Amino acid sequence: MLNLIQDTIVHAEPQTLGAASQGAGHAHGQTDWSVAAIVALPLLACVLTGLCAALRVKSKLPAWLTVASLAGAFALTAKTFAAHFMGAESHAFVVHVFDWVTFSWAADVHAQGPQTNELVANFAFYLDSLSALWMLFVTGLATLIALYASEYMSHDQGPGYCRFFAAFSLFVFSMACLVMADNLLLLYLGWEGVGLCSYLLIGYFYKKPSAVAAAKKAFIINRIGDLFLAMGVMLIFVQFGTVEYSVLFEKAKPYIELARAGNFAQIPFVVKLIPCLLMGGAFGKSAQLPLYVWLPDAMEGPTPVSALIHAATMVTAGVFLIARTYPLFLLSEVALPAVAWVGALTALLSATIGMAQFDIKRIMAYSTVSQLGYMFCGLAVLSPSGGVFHVVTHAFFKALLFLCCGAVMHGFAGQLDLRKLSGVMKMPGWRVVGFGMLIGCLNLAGFPLTAGYFSKDMILAEAFVTPGTAVIGWILLLTAGLTAYYTFRVFFRVFVGPVAYEMGDEHHGADHGHDHEHGHGQGHGHAKDHGGGDGGHHQPHAPGWAINTVLATLAVLSLAATGLYFVGGDHGAVARLVDQSSAGFHSPLAHHESGAGQAPDHGAAAGAGRASGHAVVSYVPEFVRARAHQGEVHAGTFFGADPHKAMYFVSAGVGAVGIFVAFWLHLAGRKTAAASRADALLPALGPLPGWAQGKWYVDEFYDFLVRKPLWVLSHILYLIDSYLVDGLVDFVGAAPKAAGKVIRPSQSGELHGYALGMAGGAVILIVIVALVAT
Amino acid sequence: MLLMAAILIPLVSAVLIALAPEARAKTIALLGTLTQLVVACYAATVFDWSFSSRAQLGMSLAWFEGLGVNLSLGADGVSMVLILLTGLLGPVCVLASSTAITTRVRTYYAWLVVLQAAMAGVFAARDVILFYICFEFTLIPMFILISLWGSTNRRRAAIKFFLFTFTGSVVALAGLVYVTWFNATLDRASVPAVILSQHELLGTWTFDVSTLITAGQLMSAGEQAWVLLALMAGFAVKVPLFPVHTWLPLAHTEAPTAGSVILAGVLLKLGTYAIYRFALPMVPEAVATYAPHLSMLCVVGIIYGGLICWVQTDVKKLVAYSSVAHLGFCMLGMFALNNTGITGSILYMVNHGLSTGALFLLIGMIYERYHTRDMNQLGGLAAKMPVWATFMVFFTMASVGLPGLNGFVSEFLCLLGAFQASSSWGSGAWGSDIEPVAAATPGALGPWFAMIAGTGMIIAAMYLLYMVGKVVWGPLKTPHGHSAGHAEHSGHGASHGSGGHGTEDEHAHGLPTDLSGREIATLVPLAVLCVVLGVYPKPLMQAVQGSVDQTVAVVRTPLRSQGATPAPARHAPQPTNPAKTHGEGAQ
Amino acid sequence: MSLMAVLAQAGSPAPMAASTLAHYLLVSALLLVIGLIGFVTRRNLIIMFLCTELMFQAAGLAAVAFGRYHLNLTGQTLVIFILTVAAAEAAMALALVVLLFRRKESLNAEEWQDLKG
Repeated sequence: MLNLIQDTIVHAEPQTLGAASQGAGHAHGQTDWSVAAIVALPLLACVLTGLCAALRVKSKLPAWLTVASLAGAFALTAKTFAAHFMGAESHAFVVHVFDWVTFSWAADVHAQGPQTNELVANFAFYLDSLSALWMLFVTGLATLIALYASEYMSHDQGPGYCRFFAAFSLFVFSMACLVMADNLLLLYLGWEGVGLCSYLLIGYFYKKPSAVAAAKKAFIINRIGDLFLAMGVMLIFVQFGTVEYSVLFEKAKPYIELARAGNFAQIPFVVKLIPCLLMGGAFGKSAQLPLYVWLPDAMEGPTPVSALIHAATMVTAGVFLIARTYPLFLLSEVALPAVAWVGALTALLSATIGMAQFDIKRIMAYSTVSQLGYMFCGLAVLSPSGGVFHVVTHAFFKALLFLCCGAVMHGFAGQLDLRKLSGVMKMPGWRVVGFGMLIGCLNLAGFPLTAGYFSKDMILAEAFVTPGTAVIGWILLLTAGLTAYYTFRVFFRVFVGPVAYEMGDEHHGADHGHDHEHGHGQGHGHAKDHGGGDGGHHQPHAPGWAINTVLATLAVLSLAATGLYFVGGDHGAVARLVDQSSAGFHSPLAHHESGAGQAPDHGAAAGAGRASGHAVVSYVPEFVRARAHQGEVHAGTFFGADPHKAMYFVSAGVGAVGIFVAFWLHLAGRKTAAASRADALLPALGPLPGWAQGKWYVDEFYDFLVRKPLWVLSHILYLIDSYLVDGLVDFVGAAPKAAGKVIRPSQSGELHGYALGMAGGAVILIVIVALVAT
Repeated sequence: MLLMAAILIPLVSAVLIALAPEARAKTIALLGTLTQLVVACYAATVFDWSFSSRAQLGMSLAWFEGLGVNLSLGADGVSMVLILLTGLLGPVCVLASSTAITTRVRTYYAWLVVLQAAMAGVFAARDVILFYICFEFTLIPMFILISLWGSTNRRRAAIKFFLFTFTGSVVALAGLVYVTWFNATLDRASVPAVILSQHELLGTWTFDVSTLITAGQLMSAGEQAWVLLALMAGFAVKVPLFPVHTWLPLAHTEAPTAGSVILAGVLLKLGTYAIYRFALPMVPEAVATYAPHLSMLCVVGIIYGGLICWVQTDVKKLVAYSSVAHLGFCMLGMFALNNTGITGSILYMVNHGLSTGALFLLIGMIYERYHTRDMNQLGGLAAKMPVWATFMVFFTMASVGLPGLNGFVSEFLCLLGAFQASSSWGSGAWGSDIEPVAAATPGALGPWFAMIAGTGMIIAAMYLLYMVGKVVWGPLKTPHGHSAGHAEHSGHGASHGSGGHGTEDEHAHGLPTDLSGREIATLVPLAVLCVVLGVYPKPLMQAVQGSVDQTVAVVRTPLRSQGATPAPARHAPQPTNPAKTHGEGAQ
Repeated sequence: MSLMAVLAQAGSPAPMAASTLAHYLLVSALLLVIGLIGFVTRRNLIIMFLCTELMFQAAGLAAVAFGRYHLNLTGQTLVIFILTVAAAEAAMALALVVLLFRRKESLNAEEWQDLKG
């Protein structure tokens, strides 16, 4: 792996298109503007849609502007990708656009040792296979979802429409900065930028107090993670004197050598702290324990937003961060296991919550949290390619699932309760949605030969292969079963079965009483459905061409994603791309397995590494080594079988069981939308379903443990400030006044008294002078 | 001459305003402040930024010759930047007042421009007495602005503001005079010739800033500590640091909009600037010794101020308390005593002026329309005033410290400065035998300070989003009688007026529901600067770097000698390392 | 005692044959004391004002005497000032007295005790 990092870095030098900026004030070479344009186009779209808002454009122009520029960004990304990262070898390069937080100061002449006297954080883009891959699906999905949104948001044409697309484009811009940043500070810009867009878009229906609260919650909880990330960045800067990846990985080399040798004891505590801090940031953004609570609430936003930001792209930023800084995560023996455990527990916890929810969008939200847990596990069980592959497949099928839910929500006036919808697929015009949903569900459930099946298996298998993580493997396997169950619970209840539905209410009329803008019904945030407002006699309307096109495309793409597993190297194109990047990581078992001459069907062994002529370097972290026998690495097995092979069958079996249970409980024999066989089962489970439905009361717990005490503390502080601190000041001010009150009576107000006083004073003075003089 | 012009132009326009008819007052004030801005900009172009550590554009006139007081002006990079900020906020404030102020218009604008002159004077002064006169003179216009055009509780606020800051400044003056006296009684023979050659005035009775700064460094540690205490008594109140901040929320809440903008934008920076200009280089040893204690106050202020913001119902008070928290960051960076921290701190001065100033403008616009600042009475204004809401969210984000906007750069640098500044880097758990820690600086703050102060970022998000969530988002809620627009305006105006002055009800007339062109014009320059300084802060960072380098060098030298040899008992006047104490020598 | 000694010494290098500096100062002191006693004992504002004038002239006399004694013009210059100021002050003060009288129809100083603490 080290060699690969070196490889990418070293080869980056001659390949750099803009001058790699190693310091401030360089003369920069020619910048590759097409790369810069990937970032600039969404920003341009944002500005233009903002202009539309200012000009009160009421047409769909903002949507087309956004779609066009995002498509342009996608095309440029594809072009860059094709030019640089399609071959067996690829090299990272840096495109410098302009200097950002870059400055240098006078060196301290008295300092011992080398002192960094500059901070270099430029608007510069670091393109390697990882960021290119990420940008490819970010811009691609964003284009499709923008197209979908052009129809989905059409009831809101006018300022709201502009606002939506402005924030949408700004999101893509921020995401591009996050992914392509060549330094951690620019990543942080993207990181908080996507947080802002998430805030704005969750709160899109800003008249709904719940949406406002959800937006606020998302931003604040993300900020907690951001603090850890910021601290991590600072620690990196202090420790290594740089925040630029290329320099950073170079500087971290001695430590990576140590880690490779298993000498974790020699790695200083500060260095080990770095991944732990970065991890905190990743957990916040990617909604992992204990910071996951914002994501389900984020479903208050319009569905395209949920699909793009809260399922496909932004929430995977944490995965990206860890993949990007993977070398640093290898420096600590606790970092990766911590990530693995957090991921596994999050996956399980949110799957249990997802099972008990009735709001289909929330179910999808919890499944996102759960799948993100998988991705983290993938990274942590030394299968970054598995993790990233899952990110890619998940992006497609989860976006698809959300957009299908959105289509339902759009058509049924905001109805999302699975007890009030049934047999949607059988209604005229809903076939595309139904099939899209089915394909998404199959992927999510890990149905054999779907993309989700392969990506999940890579993680599961590696969990069993890597020594010491078998428990995590079992947790993930259990979660896979639960996932299949809750996924198909939705499908069997909503899309098949007898046709029955109840339209949503979408707060029509309720808020109008004290709202003085009756004339602007269209402008209302909460009036999501333009047919609404006058009771429930309207019909569901099937999605139009834009939504159907996008759904069909996504369905095809999520099926096609399977192909990624079979082309371009041993474990697919994604594995190759990951291996060529900073997350490039040769499985600790590569040596073992290739030595044993087993089938090449193992985790993330680097075909690319071999292809590019480098010896495969086996790196075994200490925590793995410690658990393996006598320092020699042995692959874990699954009841004696090679986990990679076994998982094909085991996970398929677990998934099938889940699907069958869902079928039995929720479809077979179901006559109405509201009731199913599962209801009979619930009492047997005692209070558990209620607790799961109540989300295990984590929100309440946090509220009680953190928010309430802080609230009380703040009030106390305010009292202290008003009465104690300020009281002290007032006391100081009052003291002279009080003193004055004491001696005030001496002022008689009588002129003669004053005169006598003066005379007396003069006499006394004269006497003193006389005495002194003699 | 340019600096003199920047001070004189507002003074002249104040005279003109006083002479001109009432109706012309605003125009003259606008022209005057614009001219000041133009002059400041021109000065910035004449300024040689590659020598930003030097006081440039200088001039010196004998004033009270016998007393050694001169009318000497000059600006280094930091001063120049702050003069530009002052110049920028001048026209903004005049524009912001045009409908809000309807009584005693002439008096108002005259004092407003006088205030501009005084503030420019503080930043340009190179003579301690001149500095102090300007520093104190800012109080009078502000006192008058608050007590005549403020809201309900204005008299109390004005008096408290005046007395509190004035009391502190008097002590600071005592500190400065002590240094002057120390310098006057300095035995020239005991001062190394190198220093003497650069500061001919050493050992004479003078108020020259750079001489006194050098003289201050020659004081014993004990003397330095006392002088630091005296200086901080004056300047910390102005900043304001944690326990001496209580005048600020009151003054902000009661002041008229333009007053709040100037207060937040520039007046608070007088304190931070004075600490940078005097406390740091004049008593470097004491600063280094007490930096952790002062930083602790900053950290407490950040969290304490932030949490108090969170439970406010008065939106203006919320922003006022947020200044306490924000200035805590600013001062934390300053007391990190390294380049990143101090650079961040100076950037923070500018950025806080822009974003918080803009927030006060926005709140003022709401107050003009609805005559309330109570968040329980206002809500969901995005529905009614989308342009206002856009600006509000924008400046809130700038204030939260969103990367890409100005607040982030400075906040990050301040925290980074504090993070770096620990002498324990490189040893024990914080060190490494393999590779030295690359960017640590000596100091006694370190990661814990940064971490705890960093929670202020979360708290900032909490209270600012709470404010935005209440006022901008949510169901539309306006005070009784205002929701239906202007037709009902006059009928209901009196019922909820603040009681401050009866003329308020007339103000809202002629104001559109959303922002007027004039109001947008006041906000746009600030917004543009927020973006520019967030995306391309490099020029600003470079502009102040020379000055910061010099200050850091001055502060760090005694700091290191302390570390090397256990501080010997010093007797004044005892010169420190001759090579390093001539910080201001270049001038 | 000591005051008398000072005055006696002051007389020694007398350029004025007939009357020494001490005599002038004595008259001046007498004037001052008379004015003072008048000021303190009387209640009529006009009388009190006249008493202050008396004290003024006492100071003026002392100044002239010293000026002559030192053979320079400072004392006399000062007296010119005192006279001018006294004239201006008389105009002001009498006007004030008139105004005060109008308010309370009385010239008694004890009527005015507004500054009582």
